[in-house]
Amino acid sequence: MHFVPNPELGNRIITLMAALVLVLQIAAVGQRWIVSSIRIFAVQSFLLGAIAAVIAYFNQASHLYIAALLIVFLKAGLLPRLLERLVERIGIRREIEPLINVPLSILIAGGLTLLGYVVAESFYHPEETSARAALGHNTLAVAIALFLIGFFAMVNRRKALTQVLGLLSLENGLFLAAISLTYGMPLVVELGIFFDVLVAVMVLGILVFRIRETFDSMDVSKLRKLRE
Amino acid sequence: MEVVNLTAFAILFGMAAVLVARVLRSGSVSLWNGFFYADALSALVVLLSAFVSLVCSIYAVGYFRQDERDEVFQEDAEWGGLFAVHKLREYYTLTPLFVFSMILVALANNLGILWVAIEGTTLASVFLVMFYGRETSLEAAWKYAIIAGVGLSMALFGTILTYYSAHQVLGTDTLSGLNWSVLAGNAAQFDKPTMRLAFILILLGYGTKAGIAPMHTWKPDAYSEAPIPGAAMLATGVLNCALYGLVRFYILNSKCLGPQFSSYLLIIFGLLSIGVAVPFILVQKNFRRLLAYSSIDHSGIMVLALGFGGPLGILGMLLHMTFHSVTKPLLFFCAGNVQQHLHTDLFRKAKGGLIHSMPLTGAAFLMVTLAVAGSPPFSLFQSEFTILRAALSGGYFALAFFFVAFLVLIFSGFLVHITNLVLGEDPGIPRTGMCSWKKYSVVGLALVVVAMGFWIPAPLFGLIQRAVGIVVGGG
Repeated sequence: MHFVPNPELGNRIITLMAALVLVLQIAAVGQRWIVSSIRIFAVQSFLLGAIAAVIAYFNQASHLYIAALLIVFLKAGLLPRLLERLVERIGIRREIEPLINVPLSILIAGGLTLLGYVVAESFYHPEETSARAALGHNTLAVAIALFLIGFFAMVNRRKALTQVLGLLSLENGLFLAAISLTYGMPLVVELGIFFDVLVAVMVLGILVFRIRETFDSMDVSKLRKLRE
Repeated sequence: MEVVNLTAFAILFGMAAVLVARVLRSGSVSLWNGFFYADALSALVVLLSAFVSLVCSIYAVGYFRQDERDEVFQEDAEWGGLFAVHKLREYYTLTPLFVFSMILVALANNLGILWVAIEGTTLASVFLVMFYGRETSLEAAWKYAIIAGVGLSMALFGTILTYYSAHQVLGTDTLSGLNWSVLAGNAAQFDKPTMRLAFILILLGYGTKAGIAPMHTWKPDAYSEAPIPGAAMLATGVLNCALYGLVRFYILNSKCLGPQFSSYLLIIFGLLSIGVAVPFILVQKNFRRLLAYSSIDHSGIMVLALGFGGPLGILGMLLHMTFHSVTKPLLFFCAGNVQQHLHTDLFRKAKGGLIHSMPLTGAAFLMVTLAVAGSPPFSLFQSEFTILRAALSGGYFALAFFFVAFLVLIFSGFLVHITNLVLGEDPGIPRTGMCSWKKYSVVGLALVVVAMGFWIPAPLFGLIQRAVGIVVGGG
């Protein structure tokens, strides 16, 4: 007999993992060490890859396997490696002073998660009882929350490198939205987006390096010569 | 490399003309199983991008030779003479990449690829912004990369949501599910709340790239730090690409929700951009930043025109886009000549009386200022007038009043600044000869600008009218 995967089980697994991704994102907000922020990002990306694989398995969307492989290889492997090397080369380990202190930041992150759920609620059509609607509902909320928290992290942190990390986790939220809503974008688009992310990190990495060399600091708030 | 670049862009312009001819003959062209798709709207954008990159590459030859003579690149002692060569190679490698992404934006059938290409223009131009490697250039490049990065991620979210709402209608055909040619036909059945959110995100995202207030803050920095030819391409080519993306989604959205919803948003953001530009233009101390605010003002005008909608508003917008792309590079070139001559970009240090030390640039600068600020007989007056008519016929009387008031303020601010710079007593700066590359690009483009004031080539106008038909009728 042909084995038919149970979509109900798949949904539960995915929701669980999406929750983990969200927890990691909030943990990253409270993080003080740059290296551990990078590691958290790597684990989060790995989980996203796993989610993509699970969705691919339970819904027979085979092109998602490629996206899953790519995200694990790029965002959980290559990019964290590159960023860690950058951290070593410019020799900073610690002290990312956020503008808002850690407990309050975490509280704000929690609030943004709620907001994510509120926004996602408006997409929920209870009359659609298909598995996809239920799946989209939960993970979309997580995706929007990731997006918002990533945005918040970028505003909150002043170090150039942590802003890059914020941008990357924001991108992770988009990836989650894409795979959970539509089982991934068309493959060409997916490839293009990965390529862009890779190049963007390299460009930003070079910029971070140059800023560090020129200003002897990574504090973006020191970039304030261009004012009206 | 100069020669390679020049010939490449000349060929590109020729190919763009061929594409326009084909589109005019047969309506729309697609290639590679519908991967590339061109209708009148994309052909117009391709033509403008190709034109801008051609004139900019001609000017660039003279500009960088002047830079080499002035030893701008020699600040880094350890690099010695090699540094200049290295820098030029960087410019002549990045520009084709940059132009390639701009062309891809207009030709991609798939809205996801369109996003990828717009992000590509950002990535290619970040290094153009930090070209001179000064502290301020790094700051500008950082601001540009981060703001555009965040903005475009919003646009990506909007694209995903659009795909989602199309997905429910079109089924699981993932290959062509984001293709424009497929989406445009079915937009009416898309999920409405999703499309609404998607349009907001797209407007914020591509609006950031087009430099619409309040997401415009990267623009003055990036434009004043990038080398002049690069800045001119940012101000025209990238602006057109971002607006092109916006227009594509506007079409989908007005088919799905009716034009009302998107119009209000566009009008608010457009008028806000024009309004924001006013005070900064009036009190500006730096003429490169002045150009950036003028560009914010013009993107605001185009967004506003899109918001007014109707055949008249869209016609005004596309005419404005065309005329703006022709006129703006000349303004940048003149500013570049002045900056290279005086080695400053501050009005205070420039002291005025430029017409004595650089008669050609001075005269062209005055003329193009009048043209960009929208005074008759230049072409931008025609398009702004068309937009005003669209506003009046749409019944937006109060908005039309603000539109005109802002434009008058900007006109006067601009004119005061530039006349102070160009006219006046001779401060006794020695005249220096201009290299013929710079001279001919300025004179040639000035002739085109003047000619456009009186005469639009019939095929070009036909193309614009067809593009209007696509935006209004959607097909």
